[in-house]
Formats: sequence, C-alpha cells, structure tokens
Amino acid sequence: MSDRLKITLLLLPAMLIIVLLFFGGLAIGLMRSFNYMPVIGLTEPDLSAYFLVFTDREFYLSFLLTFHIAFTSTVISSILAIGAALLLRRNFVGRSIVNFLFQLNLTVPHLVGAIGMLYLFSQSGSFARLAAEWNLIAKPSQFPALVFDPYAIGIILQYIWKEIPFIGVIVLANMQSIGEDYESVARSLGASRWQTFRHVLLPLIFPGVLSASVMVFAFTFGAYEIPALLGANYPAALPVLAYRKYTDVDLAARPEAMAMAIIIAILSAVMIYIYIRYSRRRIRG
Amino acid sequence: MTHVSIKELTKVYPGASEPSLDRLSLEIPTGELTALLGPSGCGKTTTMKMIAGLLDPTSGDVTFDGRSILKDKPENRGVVMVFQNYLLFPYMSVADNIGFGLKMRKMDPAEIKRRVGEMLELVKLPDLGKRKPSALSGGQQQRVALARALIVQPNVLLLDEPLSNLDAHLRFEMRDLIRSLQQEMGITTIFVTHDQEEAVVLADRVALILDGCMKQYDNAEAFYKRPVDEATARFFGGQNFMSGTTRGTVFEASFGQLQLVEGLNQGSGVLTFRPENVLLNGDPSAPNTLEANIADKIYLGTQTRLKLRIGQENVDIITNPSDVEGLSPGDLIRVTLPPQTLWMLTS
Repeated sequence: MSDRLKITLLLLPAMLIIVLLFFGGLAIGLMRSFNYMPVIGLTEPDLSAYFLVFTDREFYLSFLLTFHIAFTSTVISSILAIGAALLLRRNFVGRSIVNFLFQLNLTVPHLVGAIGMLYLFSQSGSFARLAAEWNLIAKPSQFPALVFDPYAIGIILQYIWKEIPFIGVIVLANMQSIGEDYESVARSLGASRWQTFRHVLLPLIFPGVLSASVMVFAFTFGAYEIPALLGANYPAALPVLAYRKYTDVDLAARPEAMAMAIIIAILSAVMIYIYIRYSRRRIRG
Repeated sequence: MTHVSIKELTKVYPGASEPSLDRLSLEIPTGELTALLGPSGCGKTTTMKMIAGLLDPTSGDVTFDGRSILKDKPENRGVVMVFQNYLLFPYMSVADNIGFGLKMRKMDPAEIKRRVGEMLELVKLPDLGKRKPSALSGGQQQRVALARALIVQPNVLLLDEPLSNLDAHLRFEMRDLIRSLQQEMGITTIFVTHDQEEAVVLADRVALILDGCMKQYDNAEAFYKRPVDEATARFFGGQNFMSGTTRGTVFEASFGQLQLVEGLNQGSGVLTFRPENVLLNGDPSAPNTLEANIADKIYLGTQTRLKLRIGQENVDIITNPSDVEGLSPGDLIRVTLPPQTLWMLTS
C-alpha cells in the first residue's frame, strides 16, 4: 500500500465526520439563512434574513458586547496565564502542589463554574451577604452588580477563571521546552530582565500563546451557556440572541437565527485573522 | 583590558553532596586566551556561568582588575558568553541577532546598522545579514554568535566549546578567526572544552580541571612535557608510567638505569614520557638505548602504535608506519628514550 493511500485511509474517518457534520451543518444553516426552507414552503432564496439582522439595533449592541467579552477575557487571561507560567517554571518548595491547584479547574465544566459565580458574586450571593454582615454595605442588594450586569463582568470573570489554566498549561510546556539558555544569552549581551522577557522570551513563546488565545477567543465569542446564565437580558451576547430567534414560536424567525449564526462564524474567522496578523507584527517585528 | 582573578570559587548545587566546583583559583592576565579543560561534568560550564552572573557561587570570589563583580547584574558585568549550540534568536534575522546587544543599549538604529555591517565583514559573512539563522550552516551560525558577542565590545569573552560542533576542516578556520579577532581586540577570553586538542590549538594557557579541582594551569606544551600527575598525563594521552627512584640524574627502573636531565624530582616516584618521543633504531651508543620486545602492533592510518615490553615494563610508542614496516609481534627492536624527554611526576 502506498504511503499516500495509507494517509488518506487513516484520515478518512476524521475527515468524514468533519466534512459531514461541520460542512453539512454549515450548508444547511446557510440555505436556511437564505430563506430556503421547503418544509414550510419557502422555496425562493433571498437575503431578507440578513437584511433584518443588519437593520436591527440590538444586533450591533450584541456584537459589541460579545466582542468585549471575548477580547477582554482573552487578553486578561493570556496576560495572567503568562505571569503564572513564569512563576510556575521556577523551582520552589511546594511547586507541584501549586501546579496541581493551578490546573484543578481545568476539569470543572463551564456550567458548574458559572453556577459557582452566581452563588458567590450575585447580589443575593455569598459575597453580598458577607459584605452586609460585616457592615460594608447596608443590605445585600447594594452589592455591585457583577452578574447580569451591562459590562458582563461576571461572564468575563468566569472565562478568566476557566481559561487561565488552559493557556497557562500550554505556555508553561512551551517555556519548559525552550529552556532558559536564550534568556541567559540575552542577559549576557546586556539585556535587562524586562528586555529579556520582551525581546526574547515573549517572541519565543508567542506561537504557543497565540494558538491558545485564538482558541479561547473563538470559544468565548461563540459560546452560549455562560452569557445565557450570567449575562444581562438586553443586550444579550450574539449566540444568546441567535438561540432566542431560533427557539422563537414564529418559525419565520429561524432564517434570521441562521443568518446570525453564519455572521458569528464569519466574524470570528475575520477577527482571528486580524488578531494573528496584528499581534505577530507587534511581538516579533 | 581586564585582568580576571578567580579566588577559591566553589559551587555546591542545592541537594548535592559533592561540590560541582571545589575552590578553583585562577589568574587570567589581560588579553590572554585561556582554556578551562576537563571531562564533562567537571565544573567548567558552572565556572563560566558564575563569571557571567548566570549562577551564584556558594563561596569564593571573581574580580576584574581587583574589583569583585559578584554583586553586579549579568548585564552590567561586561561579560558575554557564547554558548556551544550558538542559541541564535530564531525569529530574528542574522543582522538583528548581531545588533541585539546594541539595541538593548538603546543605540541609534543607523549606528547599529553600520556596526552590524562592519561585524558581518569581520566574520566574513557580508551578504547574509537578511537571512534567518535556520538558513545558515553550523560554521556560519557560530560566526554570527561570535559577531553578536563581539559587537558589544565585552571586557571578558566566554566561549563554551567553541570548536566542538564544527567539522574538522572548519575547526582550523574558526580557530584562526577566533584567535585573530581576540588578539586584535585584546579581549580577555576564557573558553571551556572537554577536548584537549581544542584547548591546545586555541589557548595561550590551559587550566585542567578534574573532579572539580584544578590540576595544572600552564601553557599547552607543559601538559605534554611536564604533567603534574598521572591523571593529567593520561588526559593528554600519556601512556607510559614507571615506578622507581631518582638520585641526581639517574633513575633506577626495574630493568636498569636511565639517564635524566638535571632538576627533576628526587626520591621514589613515577617516571613518564610521551609515546611519540621514543626513538626507534637510533644510535646504539646514545644514552638510554634499550632492547625491547614487540607485544602488539596497531595500525592507525597516519601512525602506528607499538606496544613494547622492556624488562617487566609495558611501554607504548607512536611512530611513522613506514618506520616499522615488516616488524611483527615477537620481534626485538632497539629503542632510545632521550633524557630530555623523561619527566618525573611532581605529585
């Protein structure tokens, strides 16, 4: 059997799943977003769903909110993850314990984390009650709105909490495989600690940080459950908005939901492209 | 122009029972090229890292022109280290690699460009500035690493096994380049190596470190002619050691007397001589001419090694293959041990 054939055969099962489920789903979604849904008698494709989406003010607010959530979560968790990796790669007493605790919440599902956030940070949650108990505020409802709030602080906190170890583990493995010799060279050539980090370590770990943070960005931009649980009602994140349209009693709203899903996919692809281009120039140039 | 002085430098790694480096003391005069020679794990690289400030010593001191530098940060010591595997920054062009140290000093970009151009000329890579390190051969990478170090005009240059990753024909080219640049710029240079040949061809002086202790610090020739002890002699390829007693200029060996030159260690001790210094079939009346029995003959291409028996002693000699053509184990030959090539170990 030729190598080519072998590779094709080995790839086939995975490719079938990806092509059938992903592109198949995408194709059906695309057709419906063009108002093509023979089951309910829609057989003339048009762009009216997209028109509805782009003329809806809520869509733009939702987009801004979703971008804010994804961008802020990605940037903050990347920075904190790099900091954590810098500490964790050092040798200190109890490192393995700290390392274990650091990675512990990788195993906790997002939903469980979100419910934890609700219990702790909502205006009827533990922190609000404690603050009232200690007379920091008069009653629990005066606790700052960190959940269901317009700035999506609760959502971002939840994402940061969950994504720091994810990015951190990748970056730490990256740093350990690079070793410290490049930094030694830089120091001996006259670079300060900060310069060594900025001009040597950061560019070296950059590909790892980039791929991890792109995954986080794509996930947080398209994820539904956390904004649905912790987000404000209006404006809602794009995936929440799309789902609402999809589950609308009016079947005619479905093309609009599909159009929104397609737009979410295209937007994340474009934003990831811009992010990669821009950050590569900044870090390595 | 920096005189480097290492005083009782000791390093014990956390958790280790034995020191990796045990009270090393060394004076390296301004502008000299010194080799730290020793097998892997003997503490050479540890020593370099302590000089460069990448590792803190357990005790001892390093001074430059009399001033201790141990409290200085690595970037302020004026010491640059070139690593064995070059460690060029992979995402930067060759020119950016060379200019790195100047950029960190916030020098004007136009001036950096000019100096990088000069450096590229100096290391004979004038057209490769735009390439990425991955597009260079090992020898070229080595030169870029050297240029990147020299451009910051260090007071002290540290080289980690500078020739060991190079092919044989590149080694001499690189040796000449390192020596000429070092002489031209007068930089006090220390390099470490496990290869005695590399130490001998490159260094003004060699410090031999075995088991974390310095055995001998001398010019290269001395290690062949006047080794301090058997381990040192063996490290440099010494094979012949005979126990006996020296009185005046006479050595009493198991098979008879040998004539020595004056001034050697007296009393009972070990006599040594280099396998390449034994003469074959010379003048029968010359001093120290003896009968020897060939025990084995090993052809090594450009030379032949003979294992001889003189009385009860084993003697190894290295000779020209054409000089021993036709001889085979069991034959008797006449060998001469010239008195000026005989040496009593001092410890």
